[in-house]
Amino acid sequence: MRVAEGLAKTEGGRLSAGPLATASFGVGDVARAQRSAALDGWLGELFATAVEPGDAGASEGPAAAPDQSRPSTVVGCGFGCGLALIAVGGLGRRECAPSGDVDLLLVYEGEARGAGRGEPRPVAESVAAVAERIWYPIWDSGLTLDHSVRSYPEVLAVTAEDTKAALGLLDARHIAGDAQLTAKLRQATLLQWRQRARAHLPVLRDLATRRWRAQGELAFLLDGDIKEARGGLRDVRVLRGVAFAQVADSWRPPVRAAYTRLLDVRDCLHIVAGRRRDRLFAQDLDEVAALLGLPGPDALRRRVADDARAIAYAVDDSLRAADRWLAAQRRGGRQRGRVVRTTVAPDVVAQDGEVVLARAAVTPDVDPTLSLRVAAAAALNGLRISPGTLEWLALRCPPLPRPWPPAARTAFAQLLGTGPALVSTWEACDRYGLVTTWLPEWARIRSAPQHNPVHRFTVDRHLIETVAVAARYAREVARPDLLFLGALLHDIGKGLPGDHAAAGVEVAASLTAAMGISTSDAEVIGRLVRQHLLLPEVATRRDLDDPQTIRHVAEAVRDEETLDLLHALCRADAVATGPGAWSAWKERLVADLVARTRSALRTGTPTAAATGDRPVDRFAPVLAAGALPAVEIYPDRVTVAARDRLGLLASVAGCLTLHRLDVVSADTATLDVVSADTATLDVASDDTATLDVASDDTATLDVASDDNATIDGDGGPVAVVACRVQPRDAAGPDRRRLAHDLHRAVTGELSVDEALAARARSTVRLGGTGREAAPPRVVWAVDQATDATILELRAADDVGLLYRVAHALEEAGANVRAARISTLGPDVVDAFYLVGDWSDRSARDRVEKAVLAAATPATA
Amino acid sequence: MKLVTAVIKPHQLDAVKEALHALGVTGMTVGEVQGYGRQKGHTEVYRGAEYTVEFLPKIRLEVLVDEIDAAKVVDAIVAAARTGKIGDGKVWVTPVDEVVRVRTGERGIDAI
Repeated sequence: MRVAEGLAKTEGGRLSAGPLATASFGVGDVARAQRSAALDGWLGELFATAVEPGDAGASEGPAAAPDQSRPSTVVGCGFGCGLALIAVGGLGRRECAPSGDVDLLLVYEGEARGAGRGEPRPVAESVAAVAERIWYPIWDSGLTLDHSVRSYPEVLAVTAEDTKAALGLLDARHIAGDAQLTAKLRQATLLQWRQRARAHLPVLRDLATRRWRAQGELAFLLDGDIKEARGGLRDVRVLRGVAFAQVADSWRPPVRAAYTRLLDVRDCLHIVAGRRRDRLFAQDLDEVAALLGLPGPDALRRRVADDARAIAYAVDDSLRAADRWLAAQRRGGRQRGRVVRTTVAPDVVAQDGEVVLARAAVTPDVDPTLSLRVAAAAALNGLRISPGTLEWLALRCPPLPRPWPPAARTAFAQLLGTGPALVSTWEACDRYGLVTTWLPEWARIRSAPQHNPVHRFTVDRHLIETVAVAARYAREVARPDLLFLGALLHDIGKGLPGDHAAAGVEVAASLTAAMGISTSDAEVIGRLVRQHLLLPEVATRRDLDDPQTIRHVAEAVRDEETLDLLHALCRADAVATGPGAWSAWKERLVADLVARTRSALRTGTPTAAATGDRPVDRFAPVLAAGALPAVEIYPDRVTVAARDRLGLLASVAGCLTLHRLDVVSADTATLDVVSADTATLDVASDDTATLDVASDDTATLDVASDDNATIDGDGGPVAVVACRVQPRDAAGPDRRRLAHDLHRAVTGELSVDEALAARARSTVRLGGTGREAAPPRVVWAVDQATDATILELRAADDVGLLYRVAHALEEAGANVRAARISTLGPDVVDAFYLVGDWSDRSARDRVEKAVLAAATPATA
Repeated sequence: MKLVTAVIKPHQLDAVKEALHALGVTGMTVGEVQGYGRQKGHTEVYRGAEYTVEFLPKIRLEVLVDEIDAAKVVDAIVAAARTGKIGDGKVWVTPVDEVVRVRTGERGIDAI
């Protein structure tokens, strides 16, 4: 059997699809056509070999007159029937991917003539023999084959009921055999699709919706499936299905161009992966971008996001047209009485569930605020804007003057305050270029990728989602309009050099000036942009009991109105970011910070935690109840008291890690026990607690030791380590085992170091994002805490990181009063409060070096 | 020591058993499983159906062997199980660290 040019035989005679998968064919429409042509040729040869005249044998019975209308190759095989090999799927569309599969249909009709003495050979047997001779070489070549064998009536019976099969047949293309049969089949299935559109289109929508739910939106996913996600390649089948039904044609040049570009990305993925893979992982971005001639991963992500959005929007448009058509079909094709137009805003009317321009608005002299008023009216009424209106506005509506007139500001404020309805309206306006007529700077962030995997959305979509969520908090602020503007602009600085919050202030100033917003309001918005991360960062990384922390926040915020705005913005931002960015724990901390800051703003004094509320205070009375070490375990906190020694914090933190508990905060205190009978406890801070040993008032306590001796007052100071924890598993740790291990860890019986190393070795590392982690970094804050200097470590999260860093700090002679651990996706920000004088630069450098060494992964 | 595992068509089991006995393999474990390969569970080359993937009944067979015998055992299974039709199955070999005969406590090769 000859092989088609471009394919090659491996040793052992197997046909290799390798050459088909190589870059020798390249990327692009021409390459896809070449791959398809190579496969066509090979399959044609397979078919010709499979349909052998001798196989059918001679019949002794009267021969039927050969059907002169049929190609001789078909008659020559001994079949009096038509037999055709048809490609569907990617091969049918001539869009062969380097490692794609082959979708083939072998269709026949008529009677077979064949071996046997005067008996016509059953068609099934004959066709089965031919099918075997075609399918086996394809399987043996290593290509993935989707195959079916049907009689002509059987094909139509299947496509009448099976929407997926019917949709697939719309791509049917003749490969070999009876071309007339193929043409007849194509015509019949197309006609049937149109006739059965009322049944097929709802199924098509349902299939698409379920697929989107499972796969997500390609435009916003970090590792989206180019084929299956919403806005991906398979969505174009939906467009074509609706178009073939002659219901709507959204298959327009910009959508075609987007589709072609996604096909190129898909082909590059196959080349890079060396096999069929349609999911674009971060580790592939560089290579795929290089193959496409793009400057880098960000450009690739942006292009994919843009193209996916174009396709998704076209599909939405198409399906809505289908819905309207179906509704009309149910009415029997009759118009629904008189067309009703309802005025929803000046120059804007609602008609048939869409917003369109009032006739009076369609004039040569177009009001530049018209597009904003149309958008606001649509969002306020939960209606979409008709595509015709959007096109007209894109062509005719002039840019807004600077500064904006009051009508524009009013409409914009209305639009931003519409909540979830804002998202689809904004997306529609952006598709037609209207948003950049309002905010030219929007073009820079459109489809801009995020670099932190906690983000669900691209930068622009995240801003709109934040505004939409902010509507929930509108009643909590005195100026919801400033909240919405702050939400819209809070990340506008992303993509600019430096800290995005600081960079965003300048951009926001320019935009608010263009909008004609008052100086005082613009200043508030600037502060929102600058400080939008202040509350969550301080709440999770700083000691809220430290008055200096609260003073710092109060100074940054300045007034209660801004505090309320920041609080609302911080929550909206977190919810819009993704599930990893917010939690009940974080919410409580932020609320606590806001309450203390409000108190500070009103009275000048931050509210301090009441004595007895701090873990170290609560735990103090219990100390006298038993021997050391003493352990208290609750679902969200673990407290350990033991003889003070170097490395105690590290041992506790390491042990908690071994039991799959994430430490989110830690406080330490040293208590001087004076006597065994009554203990006057001098806590490391200025607070003191007088303890009555005879009291029965004890907290729930797991004492790891069986001894019940009272505390030996001469044993030296007692250290208390109080940790807030979050279990990684829903079940939480085994408390008895945890108490036992904590006891062993603080007494030195358990080598936490060795146990963590063994855990790190056995941890299965998943593929991950492929993102190369930046080296760890230390930032010092010398004036943000009372009687302490803050060392903030920013590093990639790792098993045992807190243990290693705490150990390094203690070995370097740093006395850690408190720690605040903040984990965001793959990274952590750990803030350590170091007691003592750290003004000496060389001392700081020494500790910093030790901490960085501990934070650097072993494989680096 | 090696574990030779094979997934084969159910009706080929007797032929495989005979072939292994001829080699002197005296013990094996057999289980009824189901699965599919490249043909996606299509029972007939003739029919095939778009978009459906079916599990087909198969037999899973496991044999513990000495390392030097593994290749021969694999060849015997492959030869006996082959029909030449799609769905013949696969054979693979994995290393075994320890084997113990429960009744006697014999370990290693003595337990095979």
